Amino acid sequence: MPEVLEAEGIVVRFGGLVAVNNVSLRVQSGQILGLIGPNGAGKTTLFNALTGYAPLHKGRVSLLRRDVSRLAPYARIRRGMGRTFQIERPFEELTVLENVLVPAFLNTSNRREAEALAWQSLEKVGLADRARQPSADLNLARRRRLELAKALAVKPQILFLDEVMAGLNPPALKEMVTFVRGLSSEGLAIVMVEHIMRVIIELAEHVIVLAFGEKIAEGSPEEVTSDPTVIEAYLGGSDD
Amino acid sequence: MDILTTIIQNLANGLLIGGVYALIGVGLSLIFGVMRVINFAHGDFVVIGMYSALVIYRQLSLDPYLSLLIALPLGFLLGLVLERIILSPLVDAPEDSTLLATLGLALILQNTLLLIFGAEPNSLYVSYATATIKLGPITLSLIQLIAGAVILVVIIGLYLFLTRSEAGKAVRATAQNRLGAELIGINTLAIHSLVFGFGMVLAIAAGIILIPQLFATPAITGPVFTLKAFVVTVLGGLGNIWGAIGGGLLLGVVEVLGASYISNSYRDAYGLVAFLLVLLLRPEGLFGKTVKRV
Amino acid sequence: MSKFTGLAIFLAVGILFPLLLPGYLSLAITLLLFASWASAWDVLGGWAGQSSLGHAAFVGLGAYTIALSATRFDLAPWWAVLIGMGLAAALAWAWGSLTFGLRGPYFTLSTIAVAEILRLIAINERWLTGGAQGIFIFSLREPFGLDLFDRQTQYYLALAYTVIVIRIIIGFAKGKFGYQMRAVREDEASAQAAGINPTRVKLQAFMISGALTALGGAIYGVFLSFLEPHDIFFLPLSVQIALTAIIGGRGTIWGPTIGAVLLVFSAELFRNIFAQANLLIYGVLILVVILFMPRGLMGQLEHRIIRRRYARSTRS
Repeated sequence: MPEVLEAEGIVVRFGGLVAVNNVSLRVQSGQILGLIGPNGAGKTTLFNALTGYAPLHKGRVSLLRRDVSRLAPYARIRRGMGRTFQIERPFEELTVLENVLVPAFLNTSNRREAEALAWQSLEKVGLADRARQPSADLNLARRRRLELAKALAVKPQILFLDEVMAGLNPPALKEMVTFVRGLSSEGLAIVMVEHIMRVIIELAEHVIVLAFGEKIAEGSPEEVTSDPTVIEAYLGGSDD
Repeated sequence: MDILTTIIQNLANGLLIGGVYALIGVGLSLIFGVMRVINFAHGDFVVIGMYSALVIYRQLSLDPYLSLLIALPLGFLLGLVLERIILSPLVDAPEDSTLLATLGLALILQNTLLLIFGAEPNSLYVSYATATIKLGPITLSLIQLIAGAVILVVIIGLYLFLTRSEAGKAVRATAQNRLGAELIGINTLAIHSLVFGFGMVLAIAAGIILIPQLFATPAITGPVFTLKAFVVTVLGGLGNIWGAIGGGLLLGVVEVLGASYISNSYRDAYGLVAFLLVLLLRPEGLFGKTVKRV
Repeated sequence: MSKFTGLAIFLAVGILFPLLLPGYLSLAITLLLFASWASAWDVLGGWAGQSSLGHAAFVGLGAYTIALSATRFDLAPWWAVLIGMGLAAALAWAWGSLTFGLRGPYFTLSTIAVAEILRLIAINERWLTGGAQGIFIFSLREPFGLDLFDRQTQYYLALAYTVIVIRIIIGFAKGKFGYQMRAVREDEASAQAAGINPTRVKLQAFMISGALTALGGAIYGVFLSFLEPHDIFFLPLSVQIALTAIIGGRGTIWGPTIGAVLLVFSAELFRNIFAQANLLIYGVLILVVILFMPRGLMGQLEHRIIRRRYARSTRS
């Protein structure tokens, strides 16, 4: 299967603090990679380093075999990344449809085509009936789905999902899990940061466990959850 | 006069002018540090000080320096009231909103003063206006020296208030972290009013000590001093009130030296260029590490 | 209704106006200039969300370019206008490249400083600008036999200018560039996630905004035919332009024009009472808007329409 993302020796520093230390990973199309770890383990920082939102101190990120390490976030998005934000960031003054139009315009300058693409994305996430609603009025579950619709509208090869499950009630959670699985079966590569272990076990084929910025384990969900270092990190490291 | 004496004379003049700028800048920086408000009406507060000295002089024939005793308490009240009406409803609004609100306040103050006093320049003549004091080879003007003394007293007073009194500690806590301050029981809205009142007091004091030295017109003098105050606070680091003192003195010296040794017609430009450079290269200001410190 | 219906009506009224009320041409020119300046300001300030308080610099640049090219270089006015707009775009590019790293209010402060420095240059570089005494435009070539000093000609030029500016805004409002700017205004990180380069979008907005303002500056220069740096570059003009747009409604097509109608007419109404204190009305209105309708007149209206339309659609 084709390699979509390859990251090697990623180091991120903030001042004297090493937030991510020498982490490597690769993702193929149709594969779901889970990033887990206790609070403050550097998951979101790694995630931001891959998507360009945090500066790389060392290391290399390749997207579809091209080095994107020095590119700004928007340029990585244009080459095939899509991302959501942990705290949803809709364009609050725009309606739901307009929110999705913004990324849709990346693929076309024609309003009609962009709108068609935006509708597709909205239907996919089940928000089409809310298209004309001001986005500031959406509830949490729908804001999450709007995030997803926006990320999908850029037509990415690889999707970065930052805790899209957090705070959802059980039915919404179930829907989201099915939805993400569907995306990967369509061939999309997915990297997800997640707090909810159950979700990762259910979805991810491959899991990387971070603690204090270091990769302490990786493998299938079953392998990592039975790994004593992982259990130690979770029980000893934080109250999570 | 030899070159060295000229330079010392210029430095002394620069510092005396800079002291007034410092007084204005400290108030603006205090307001920004605590309230996160960029006060576009600050120069107009200075003008209010100037015209209140004029009014008190004309009505009561009181020396401008004595009129401080009347004008400062009244100014403090005015500051409180304005904050309550205009700024406290906007406490959670974007920074842009408070900036525009104070800009509106500035226009209202300028034009109200214009309606009352007219557009012609005003000044206040004191009998000792031209008196000078010789200090070795250099000559200093008496009113500038008095101004310097007033500034020292006001700034030391502010320092003691902020560091020694309970209210001052509450002000500093609010500046550092508004939410945190509220959690330990500080009424931060009251602190905002208090701080705006103090900012007004400092500006009015500056206006009163300036009016014997220059001519003021309502709609022009206000923006001029607002700009100077911005320059001073950006040099010192927005929100860093002790930095503003350094910024003020520096601006005074830069203006006087630039005017004597480069070109007098660009006197106002030196500060603006320094302002842009600092904003671009060192937005935390010349003297501080953080933007938030008070 | 086509998206150009409003503009067509505006144009029709504009064409007929001098025939109906020939005595009010100067007032109408002022109104049109402010409407267009505020609209041009709004490209940067409203659509892209970067409030400038230095737009008088562009007015001055446009006005001075036409004045100097007529009096010093004997250049035809249309060339002067193009050069003025080019200079304005270049200034905006340089200015934005330097300052767009600055966050919100810091950018606003820097715009004041840049405009002030230009004013000081205009006052002091007498060899170029005529200095503080100002500069007269004595004569202008006559493009297509038009006498540019004729009030009616000036009026129609101002009308054409307004129509061009609003036409440009309607052009991008519902298209790619319009949404890119609004995304950058709302949230730059999120805009990047949509593949948008925020710096580039802001620079484009600034250059369009500056060049269009300078175009109006050229008309203003001819309208005044006497330029004084104190008037034309000074902070109050920048403030007036910005407040007109904000009161009318930032990021809306007609907001800045509505703002100009409101402000120019009320300034005219109160002229006898307030005389020089005519900016009082700006101060009062901006406070009312900021405290009670932060989106401005048109912005608040649009916001309500969107909500009402959605509420109705869910009921049916």
